[in-house]
Amino acid sequence: MTFQSTQDAFDAAFSTAALPAVLPAVILSVGALLMLLIEIVPGARASRPIVVLATLVGALFANFTQLSDPAGPVLDGIYASTPETAIWGMLFAAGALLAWVYSIGYYGEKARPFLAEHDMLFLSAPAGMTLMVCSQDLLMFFVGLELLSLPLYARAAFRRERHDSVEAGLKYFLLGAFAAATYLFGASLLYLATGTISVMELKMMMGDTITTTPVFLAGAGLLVAGIFFKISVFPFHMWVPDVYEGSPTPVTTLMATGTKAAAFGFLIPISFLLPTEATGLIAAIALLTMAAGNLGALVQTNIKRMLAYSGVAHAGTILLVIAGYLASGRDDAIGEQALHAALFYLAAYLFTSTGSFGLLAMLERDGEDLTTMRGIRGLARRRPAVAAAMTLFMLSLGGIPATGGFFGKWFVFTVLVQEGMYGVAILGALMSVVALGYYLRVIVNLWMEPLDEADTGRVAPVTLPAGIATAVCALGVLVLGLMPGWFLDLLG
Amino acid sequence: MSIPTEHILILASLLFSLGALGFLLRRNVIVVLASVELMLNAANLTFLAGSRAHSTSDALSMEGPVFSLFVILVAACEAAVGLALVIAFYRQKRTVDLEAATELKG
Repeated sequence: MTFQSTQDAFDAAFSTAALPAVLPAVILSVGALLMLLIEIVPGARASRPIVVLATLVGALFANFTQLSDPAGPVLDGIYASTPETAIWGMLFAAGALLAWVYSIGYYGEKARPFLAEHDMLFLSAPAGMTLMVCSQDLLMFFVGLELLSLPLYARAAFRRERHDSVEAGLKYFLLGAFAAATYLFGASLLYLATGTISVMELKMMMGDTITTTPVFLAGAGLLVAGIFFKISVFPFHMWVPDVYEGSPTPVTTLMATGTKAAAFGFLIPISFLLPTEATGLIAAIALLTMAAGNLGALVQTNIKRMLAYSGVAHAGTILLVIAGYLASGRDDAIGEQALHAALFYLAAYLFTSTGSFGLLAMLERDGEDLTTMRGIRGLARRRPAVAAAMTLFMLSLGGIPATGGFFGKWFVFTVLVQEGMYGVAILGALMSVVALGYYLRVIVNLWMEPLDEADTGRVAPVTLPAGIATAVCALGVLVLGLMPGWFLDLLG
Repeated sequence: MSIPTEHILILASLLFSLGALGFLLRRNVIVVLASVELMLNAANLTFLAGSRAHSTSDALSMEGPVFSLFVILVAACEAAVGLALVIAFYRQKRTVDLEAATELKG
């Protein structure tokens, strides 16, 4: 970043060409700030849901306009808008919107006076995610990461009268702070080795002798390890089940889908920093992550905790594309294919996971024992629609054909097979079969177990917002599963 | 005579390792938070060393100092959120020892 004069620097920073590219993040930030104002303006509190909806729909639309006509790199190359970032941005806005809809009516009396603060923290999460995937330098990503993480720490502990919620917030915070510090030390080492923090400039340097120095390699390793924390990869996955279980379920929804997607959205484009010799290591980490997630999930009786472990396993599957990319000798075409595979996988995962966590949030209102394997027994008889939707989500998580989850896995394993990593692909596919074991257990409990007669009358009717959100999630899963080409066409 | 970059790098690595060890081994939340600060300052030191190493007499390499400023800013935000969480935890458990965090496991 060298400018002839300060004037040039300002011209670059305030160029109107940058406006369409940064508009989604701006809309989300403005919406979040409006939430704070609503709190202090008398009589404005009732407009809270309108502002949330307008902000998220506005961000969705602003991203949509970038899809056909992306602005490319702007602001002197620190921020870029591409078709991929437009789709990421739309997913973040849609995911946040669905999670917010599921949060309607979720919180108890004690949390209700603080719902404006809740929504303010809620809106800054998709803003942070958008910055993360659009960032073209290490500092911008860090700012986005913190904009996403700091509100999430607070929101994990939002039910502060509850011991498990506060504990989840504290654990999430401590590990997040550790991850951020690891990322930063990695970034500082890369800067010391190369003199730049720009992703594009780092990419141009690849192949130089500078990129094989110990300082550079240590920097790249620490930077990636910091991001690995965020995507809950082995051995950094231990915090996930505790944090997901203790946090309020609508918050867990966003943590499981958006955070992971945003971190992958940056990690895959910068995985060129890793040496090609790391292929085996990344593949091993990915397989161990899948094993840890699946084995953990198999023994759970709490469905929320089971889904947390399942999320770990999914992160492992997506990580395989980076191994495929490194195996290709860091080929750009394979890198793009890997990014698209992860994008599709995470789009399907976002709808599936949001739907299943959302249904849990809804069931939780009727009593928390309803989110255990025992509690959902025979639920199909009382609420067939809920059981059918849950079944669809479980099938998609398991990767059954005709659901979005199937094609996600298909594209990931295609990358591996192309690169001749048959052993890794077979092991990965076997792990996915193991995973079916616990997804099917949910389905069996829903449909085949008899209703516990003592429970009669405990189940409240499905609320309209939750019903609409579930229908949207189910539609997303089916559209991605039956017409995957439509999604791929969006990417061009 | 200026301090060689290698020496700064060694100091920063020591600080980072010390912080990481403190984070992993200590059970008092306040000490754990202080350990994270140590790790962040190791990064700051390295950023400044990098800026010095890559600046010439005509052009300063500004990314390092700017990054450090952002790190300091975010560290302050983290402390605000973190200490609030510690207070909420203390109100429930009457201790800041992480051994008391036993609600979630399995």
